Amino acid sequence: MQVFEGFTVVELADRRNQFIGKLMAESGARVIQIEPVEGAPGRWIGPFADDQPDPNKCLDYWWYNTGKESAAIDYTRKPGADFVREIALKADVFIESTRPGTLAQYGLDYATLSAANPALIYLSFTDFGQDGPWVDFEMNDHAHLALGGPMGSSGYSDPHETPIGGQRNHAYNMSSVMATHTITGALFERLSSGLGQYIDVAIHDVVGISTEAAVPYWLWYNQAALRQTGQHAAVKYRPTTQILCSDGKLVQVTMPQLPLNGWVQLVKWMEEVGVAGELSDEKWRDDFYRADRLRNGDEIHEGIIRLLSKVTSEEAFHRGQALGMAWAVIRAAEENMNLDHYKQRDYWQPIEQPEIGKTILYPRALLTNDELGTRPTRRAPHLGEHTAPILKNDLGVEDAVIEAMTKTGVVR
Amino acid sequence: MTSKPQLPQGFLTGVRIIDFSWKTVGPWATRMLTPYGAEVIHVEPPHRPDDHRFEFRPVYGDAAKNQIAFRDAPDSPAYYTTPNFSHLHAGKLAINLNTRHPEGKELMEQLVKVSDGLSENFSGGVLDSWGLGWDRLKELNPKLVYLSLSGYGHKGEWGSYRSYGPSAQASSGLTFSSGLPDKNPAGWGYSYMDVTGGWCGGLGMMMGLLRMKRTGEGVYVDYAVTEAAMAMLGPFFLDYQVNNRPTRRPGFPPGNRSIWPEVAPHNTYRCAGIDRQGQDWFVFIACETQEQWESLVEVMGKPELLGDPRFITMQARRENQDVLDDIISTWTAPRRRYEIMTVLQQAGIIAVPIQNAEDRVEYDEQLRHREMYPVIAHPEVGEFEMERYPPRLSRTPADNTGRAPILKEHEEYVFGELLGIDSVGMSRLREGGVI
Repeated sequence: MQVFEGFTVVELADRRNQFIGKLMAESGARVIQIEPVEGAPGRWIGPFADDQPDPNKCLDYWWYNTGKESAAIDYTRKPGADFVREIALKADVFIESTRPGTLAQYGLDYATLSAANPALIYLSFTDFGQDGPWVDFEMNDHAHLALGGPMGSSGYSDPHETPIGGQRNHAYNMSSVMATHTITGALFERLSSGLGQYIDVAIHDVVGISTEAAVPYWLWYNQAALRQTGQHAAVKYRPTTQILCSDGKLVQVTMPQLPLNGWVQLVKWMEEVGVAGELSDEKWRDDFYRADRLRNGDEIHEGIIRLLSKVTSEEAFHRGQALGMAWAVIRAAEENMNLDHYKQRDYWQPIEQPEIGKTILYPRALLTNDELGTRPTRRAPHLGEHTAPILKNDLGVEDAVIEAMTKTGVVR
Repeated sequence: MTSKPQLPQGFLTGVRIIDFSWKTVGPWATRMLTPYGAEVIHVEPPHRPDDHRFEFRPVYGDAAKNQIAFRDAPDSPAYYTTPNFSHLHAGKLAINLNTRHPEGKELMEQLVKVSDGLSENFSGGVLDSWGLGWDRLKELNPKLVYLSLSGYGHKGEWGSYRSYGPSAQASSGLTFSSGLPDKNPAGWGYSYMDVTGGWCGGLGMMMGLLRMKRTGEGVYVDYAVTEAAMAMLGPFFLDYQVNNRPTRRPGFPPGNRSIWPEVAPHNTYRCAGIDRQGQDWFVFIACETQEQWESLVEVMGKPELLGDPRFITMQARRENQDVLDDIISTWTAPRRRYEIMTVLQQAGIIAVPIQNAEDRVEYDEQLRHREMYPVIAHPEVGEFEMERYPPRLSRTPADNTGRAPILKEHEEYVFGELLGIDSVGMSRLREGGVI
């Protein structure tokens, strides 16, 4: 049994919340995305198949909406609001990302819906939550990375260089993971109580606690950190952990610890390629000395730079791992698609895309687990693809009414 | 030593999790359960306490002994419950247990029988080496939810490979896609995939618990952090396959500019002042609509830009981003970052300072309004502020009073009350190095 099998989720389309519905759809939930008749905002992000803008060919939308149904209904117009309310009253979970106070006028607020459907779990997933001085700020994903802290910690070992935010919706993604966790918990609770509840998740709150030790260290020690190229921000600059290999590729050498056994083998490897230098000295076998120099010196890093300059990135990765070193090749995303390891784990899932006449591979979102059922199986819906079936089969609306509503632009 | 712990009432009250987590990714996965009342028992080896108790001091060989010395030295702080440990293990219980000792294994098996979940982020094969692989765990407790967090997952030819957050970020493409063009990747200045990666694992545990409650069946979740990391980059894989466009291409990553949606301006801009470390202050500004662009031009007092063919449409602004960014930088350079935020936000423009930890604690009015740093009490540390667990639930709210446990704090409760070992037996186990 897929974990969300039997649950229905209604999602008011928004770029911020679409990952939540995807995670639930891929684990068995029926997810109905209510779109504006001109299409969800996520349909216009790009890239597009063949770079031709088309609401049914947006790859960003494809990714975030696998397994969902699309009902294009204008809920800001009277019959539309009634339809959406009826759908929501039959649902288990309702997800919205509108500005606080927007939905009451359409009868889609928590008070209205929960009065008729007390088992409903209602998530407001917004930039700043339901209250506060910044609640009306204009934001996007990158702005959240800036305001919430990830960029404050990330960038280059140059105090005048810009902080950097990663490409691709990370603030929305990480907040969606926490929101989905919360919904899952609320469903767990509902199995006992039979009751739903209201959940307020603010993206800024979530991103604000996402930067590991940065805030705790400020709270405890008033410690401020320097951004550093490719590694953790810290109070002083440290040797690089991105090390160039003989094939021109970089390996991330993250090595907070260096136990004796791994050290002995590492030095042996350095000796094989003739770069060990003074690291062959017995004094380096002392745990205290080695640990201190690993934290405070650069001899070990320089030795590894010499070593990796003589070997390929793949050799560094695999032999390093054999020595217990958590080194990793800095790969471009797509370079993972040919690796046997992920194929052996059944990570890539084929989905047919009739829009381009071929089947493409999707990563499983977050978890590779057949028992939980986390697996994308169906492509994202076309705009309004399920409007008529939902209105007809779920709400009993007659064909003639659907046709009339379509003509007036209330549905599509 | 206290006995029965006082845990908050929540929807996970009565749910017991054995937590072998260490570092960051594992602790976060179970940290997400304690605000809802779960009893999470953090298990530490007797001779090697969690290294986060000791500010990352090394935990092997002679240096491990140094940790004990650090804790016991007369001049060291009375506490060894450091910021990281306090935040990652808030609300958990703590015991010591030598699982490699035959009696320790027996105790573990008894604990498994009375628990609902088990979480660990060891290297591949550790639980198997204890004789407690999934087959045995399932035999002991068919309803157990077992979450194993690792860099690459245990199934597959890299099943024994090791990973920290930065390794998973490097391997997945996350590091590569964060940086300025023609420079090394900037990557992430913290372990994104230990924090968010931990949350993804926590979701796996919560999903497992929900499924267990619905079906009565346990589940083994072999969670690979690199796979979750790749899922954060989903559209890149589609663009590669559909448009034959790899991310390893000239001009990528584009710094803080936006490739999709096709928006400009969308960048960071240097403004007045530096932080305590001497780093320049920056603001992030983006105009996603024509209205926002027109408002920006008005606020900057440069109406001539409206008719400038280089900036007249979004497409034109994208094609002339270098010039456009120079113009905006010239305007922001002498201005204060929060002032820029205020004036541009009032005009409906996306504009925020790049906030560091100090900013978020001291100057962020929104986080302060949302009470994101509640004060909690700890018997050794005293009172201190801690990051709040963010979600707000109306009927079963998350508790934010839980504190991290003192070393071995809940030994009496776990071994005495839960497993029924009397004081003589406890003494014998302590003398034998089992607990």
